[in-house]
Amino acid sequence: MTKQDTTLWDRQRNKIISKKGGWLIGDGVYCHGYEMMDELVGKVTYMQVVVLNATGRLPERRLAECIEAAHICLSWPDSRIWCNHIGALGGTMRASSVASTVAGVLATDSRSYGIKPLKAGLSFIQAAMLAFNNGVSVTDIVTNECAKHGGKPFIMGYGRPIAKGDERVPAMERVAKNLGFQVGAHLKLAYEIESVLDERFNEGMNINGYMSAFLSDQGFSPDEVYLICSTLVASGVTACYVDMRNRPAGTFLPLRCDDVLYQGKPHRLLPEQEDEVRG
Amino acid sequence: MEKQQRHQKVTARTEPFADKASTRIWEELASSDNPYIADSSRCHGYDLIDLMRGASYIDTFYLLFRGDMPSTDERQLLEKLMIGLINPGPRHPATRAAMNAGIGKTDPQHILPISLAIMGGEHLGAGEVEGAMRFMRRHRREDPVRLVEQLLKAQGEGQPEEGDWHIVPGFGSCFGGVDLMSSKLVTLLLELPGCGDIMKWGAQFSSALEKHNMGWLNVGVAAAVFADLGFHPRSGAGLFQLLSAPGLLAHGMEQANKPITAMPFISDKAYTIDYD
Repeated sequence: MTKQDTTLWDRQRNKIISKKGGWLIGDGVYCHGYEMMDELVGKVTYMQVVVLNATGRLPERRLAECIEAAHICLSWPDSRIWCNHIGALGGTMRASSVASTVAGVLATDSRSYGIKPLKAGLSFIQAAMLAFNNGVSVTDIVTNECAKHGGKPFIMGYGRPIAKGDERVPAMERVAKNLGFQVGAHLKLAYEIESVLDERFNEGMNINGYMSAFLSDQGFSPDEVYLICSTLVASGVTACYVDMRNRPAGTFLPLRCDDVLYQGKPHRLLPEQEDEVRG
Repeated sequence: MEKQQRHQKVTARTEPFADKASTRIWEELASSDNPYIADSSRCHGYDLIDLMRGASYIDTFYLLFRGDMPSTDERQLLEKLMIGLINPGPRHPATRAAMNAGIGKTDPQHILPISLAIMGGEHLGAGEVEGAMRFMRRHRREDPVRLVEQLLKAQGEGQPEEGDWHIVPGFGSCFGGVDLMSSKLVTLLLELPGCGDIMKWGAQFSSALEKHNMGWLNVGVAAAVFADLGFHPRSGAGLFQLLSAPGLLAHGMEQANKPITAMPFISDKAYTIDYD
């Protein structure tokens, strides 16, 4: 039998070669070229470091402030929201706050809501920008995207379950404006898409659509935004956890047996029991 | 001055949400004294106490997901797979996560969720199982030898410059070679009367890959058995996590009472910062 080449793995046994940084004991703590205690702590915001750790680039403070504001937009303490609901269930059964918050965050790895649609939103608007620059009209961009969903107005970043319109969009517009950000090419295109959708389907832009376009204008890739926003909803989940943690255990939306609708097979006996019954 | 974009006013959609959650799996009948306390529980119609008396754990496990009792052959096939997958072993990243949590004195109730989250990965983890099930279900009527050649031709450029290559989910190289333990599991499973067409096709596909230094991975083996037993591909990831859970927990708990120094901590000398 031929000896197999395991050089790749052998080279990395018992050692770590970090491309991010680390703690060199007695020397310092390094993060993407910065000495954390001297150059980052007390000088930049936590959100700037979140972006630095995720992308390797230290953003300007106002951009981090915008990203932080988006985190606030996704931190509602409403336990009906799916990820928050998980936090509340953790509270009612006395799970730890860490477990409950992390469980709620994990739930946002979802096709329907949370961070994956944000990543898809960036992919959409960046692809749309490419198409637009290649001469495809905004109307055709909308038509082509809707055609993927049987002509229905399913475009990542537009429309939303439960409600029409999104109060978070004007809030984020205000934040960006106050911080001196101009409307960039992606956001301009996103607005034009919204106008077509509104006229044709009575649907508008949601927070995902706004942030996807805004962050695309700031030069972020879909993967980078997914990394930056890994814990986007954490705080709202914690709030809903605390709400139920401070009440009697097991009292969050308690269910009677008949509050769950059974639609399965009727009562039956195991084959051996049936044999006994038949004698 | 920039033109202000007009947005829609926020209004409720009033979507028709269900009044109650529904299930075909489990029925709980209330006590006459307290509507919150179940007096009996039934799984797909079978009383839980009857199942405890007259059914095996494997029967009940299969029933839970498939809605009916397994045949003798199906029961045996599932049980053998469950034994084969019971422990990913102490070198698997998910097990190492469990051991790391254990040695770090993480609360014991978190050890399993931590390791299962890592086990959700798409490289030798649960995240690979659904794709493997769908791949085999889709291609099971094709000539596996020809398919391997087509895939190599079509996806050759997708091969990473370094490291293992999973040519399709569930099949590939493992540390640069063929995964021998997976092949051994398959040898045993193929001897069972319950072994199905997808497993047999997968074995031929794996054989065709061998000359390219690839073959079955254990996620692929699990996928083939799940598919032959009729489990839905979307259940594959969770089933794989479930079957791996005993080993993950055992290894995590084994470390929990040891001092933190009982596992390696890479020394400063062996820790290098090398920015791109």
